[in-house]
Amino acid sequence: MSSRAIGFGLGVAVAMALISPATAADAACEPAKVAQKYPGLAGKTIKIGADPQTPPYIMRDKTDFNKVVGIDADLSRAVFDCAGLKYEFVLGAWSGILPAVQSGQLDVMWDDLYYKPARAEVVDFVIYMQAATGALVQKGNPKKIARIEDLCGLTVSFGVGSSNELAVKKQNEACKAAQKSEINMMPFQDLAAGLRLLDSERADAIMWDLGFVDNLAATNPEKYARGFAIMDGLEVGAAVKKGNAELLQVISDGMQVVQKTDQQKKILQTYGVDAALQLPAATKTK
Amino acid sequence: MAFVGDFFGYITSGFLWNGALIAVEITCLAMMLGLGLGLVFALMRLSRMKVVRSFAWTYIWIMRGTPQLLQLVFIFDALPAMGIKLDSFTTAVIGFGLNQAAFSAENIRGGITSVSRTQSIAAASLGMSSFLTLRRIILPQAMRTILPGIFNDIISMLKLTSIASIIFVSELTFRAQQIVGQNFRFFTVFAAAGAVYLLMTSLIAFVQGLTERHFDIERTPAEAGPLSRMFGFRRPQNNSQASDGLAIELERPGQARQNNERHWLRSLVHRRVEQVDAGAPFVVCRNVQKVYDGREILTGVDLTVHRGQVVCLLGPSGSGKSTFLRMINHLETMDWGEITVGGARVGYDAIPGGLKPSRNVAKARADAKIGMVFQHFNLFAHMSALENVMEAPVRVHGMPAAEARKIALQLLEEVGLGAHVDKLPHRLSGGQQQRVAIARALAIKPQLMLFDEPTSALDPELVGEVLSVMRRLADAGMTMIVVTHEVRFAREVADLVVFMDGGKVVEQGPPSQVIDSPREERTQRFLRSVERPMTDAA
Repeated sequence: MSSRAIGFGLGVAVAMALISPATAADAACEPAKVAQKYPGLAGKTIKIGADPQTPPYIMRDKTDFNKVVGIDADLSRAVFDCAGLKYEFVLGAWSGILPAVQSGQLDVMWDDLYYKPARAEVVDFVIYMQAATGALVQKGNPKKIARIEDLCGLTVSFGVGSSNELAVKKQNEACKAAQKSEINMMPFQDLAAGLRLLDSERADAIMWDLGFVDNLAATNPEKYARGFAIMDGLEVGAAVKKGNAELLQVISDGMQVVQKTDQQKKILQTYGVDAALQLPAATKTK
Repeated sequence: MAFVGDFFGYITSGFLWNGALIAVEITCLAMMLGLGLGLVFALMRLSRMKVVRSFAWTYIWIMRGTPQLLQLVFIFDALPAMGIKLDSFTTAVIGFGLNQAAFSAENIRGGITSVSRTQSIAAASLGMSSFLTLRRIILPQAMRTILPGIFNDIISMLKLTSIASIIFVSELTFRAQQIVGQNFRFFTVFAAAGAVYLLMTSLIAFVQGLTERHFDIERTPAEAGPLSRMFGFRRPQNNSQASDGLAIELERPGQARQNNERHWLRSLVHRRVEQVDAGAPFVVCRNVQKVYDGREILTGVDLTVHRGQVVCLLGPSGSGKSTFLRMINHLETMDWGEITVGGARVGYDAIPGGLKPSRNVAKARADAKIGMVFQHFNLFAHMSALENVMEAPVRVHGMPAAEARKIALQLLEEVGLGAHVDKLPHRLSGGQQQRVAIARALAIKPQLMLFDEPTSALDPELVGEVLSVMRRLADAGMTMIVVTHEVRFAREVADLVVFMDGGKVVEQGPPSQVIDSPREERTQRFLRSVERPMTDAA
């Protein structure tokens, strides 16, 4: 190692040492300082786009339908409260949210949105948890579905156009290759419709977000159970329009605090979701 | 029982009802926008200008041909790029309204074309403008055709507002879905939402029933409201009640009454004559020509009529006499020549080298004060006899309703229909309808009356009552041009008989000459052909 390299390394270390107190200072809630920290956003109302049909991320409160609750609802509240910004939830159908963020009608989509490189071309993400897929089955798992290979020859339902669809199709090819019966696929438009397929035994399993599957199995043990889970390494994040650096910073700063104070873990637990799914908050713009 | 409890829990849920309210608000506003614009596009589709027609056609083609959902997303998410940022509710109202306009336009166009052309021709002859005709004559009659379609659309839209969840409108269905998304009790929640919809659509169907009754001309009249006044449905329930003193006065029997009214009719006519030089020609037609689709209808007609004269136009079918008559009050355009009535060209302005149609032909017609009576009566089908007569004085000439009413009652009494003033045309016989039509034409205090085969559509036994009214009018000194096949009437009443054939005047002169000793062979042949059945009938 040359002395120049050492010198450079030292310089970086000094710089880091200088920056880190600042970072530590940032990682605290200072709602009163909103005008200094985020001058471009102070006074504005942040519009959070979400579909309240995506439990346990965004949903209506059981006791008061006028309230919105869920993991992402609680997280976004914590983040914007922390920054001292006003915000409101704008609720609509899932497929309309991202276009509205792109067009500037909404400021952020915060609703169990998976990071994908193609999506990162039009929006910037702040990643905060991991996605996993679960198979929801009937109570007692009558078809003995313990891994994805067990789906061959069964009827499986999933969200149309979802990442689950790809997984099921891939497995179907594997079934064919192994000369087993094919999977009978029944895509659904909304989750409640998919659940009705399971209730009426038209489908043997539903592939959906693990958080939801676990939450539902935990709250309705007399009806449902988890068949299996796949840790497919997908990341979940809040998305803002490309170039909206200040809002991205607000969310990133807020998530740092929320994670440092273990608020996120508590929120995940509240909704019956494994706290191990938490990922360190990180910005992704590509 | 738990189901019932839950069901009523949801059906009384403020959360759902707020969603229903949003659906109703969007539907009401979008429907108003859609109907207003729809009327405009319907009229554009009926326009004589190709550019206008094509524009409307293209709009309807695109809006009907693309999904409503995509239109909403486009307005909500694409317009911000052009600097237009509308909120969810406004987007929904505009989106549904614009889409509805396309559907309403076709519905309204169908209604308008279902109303007979004769209605607007009659309105034009009274000097009513296109807009007034549309509002007072065409639309009220088109309503019966249009209304069922409109109410279909209202109900469809109320239910369809749920697709606006794509642009963040949280109405009833979407709210129900959200509850189901939370508790998955789809059956109870959707049953409750369905019941709420059924309640609302039942209400709409009830309003539809009321509205259709209102526009149903075959029903017995009901109390007139502001809407009916707006659209020409003012139909007094009981005339003797409504006009008490006057009606009693008119019902005086006997000769005294007749003299009184004859005097009144005379005054109506003479008032105008005194104003001008009676010696000058009143109606002057010079070299009037008309070509239809390459066929020559009129090949140069000359005619001069003096005040107080009764002119009868005789001639075989297709001789062009009706077309010529309609040119006098500009219901038909001229290709060549000139017509003046009291020195004025009706609906034409002189420009160097010829004439051009006036900008406001309706006003020119109104100012000319030419009354017209048609072969098929052309009474406004949705208006009572009294309303038919009052329409032009009130709406075109701005006469106070009370005065117009008094005059209309006198006129109807004069033509022998005092007992039928509140009847709708379809309740009257042909002869009675034609007498109402004469009264209607007289109500504008005309200086000239045009009659276009006024008795041709009547049963033989009803011809007499109409001719007798015309005879009395002639006696009172009214200037009249009458297209007729009634040779006896022409002989007895006309000052001048004009025989037309092949688009020109073949022979004219006093009846003693043209009817009793015609010079032209064509005239002789025609008179032989019409006079024989007449004598047979007599």
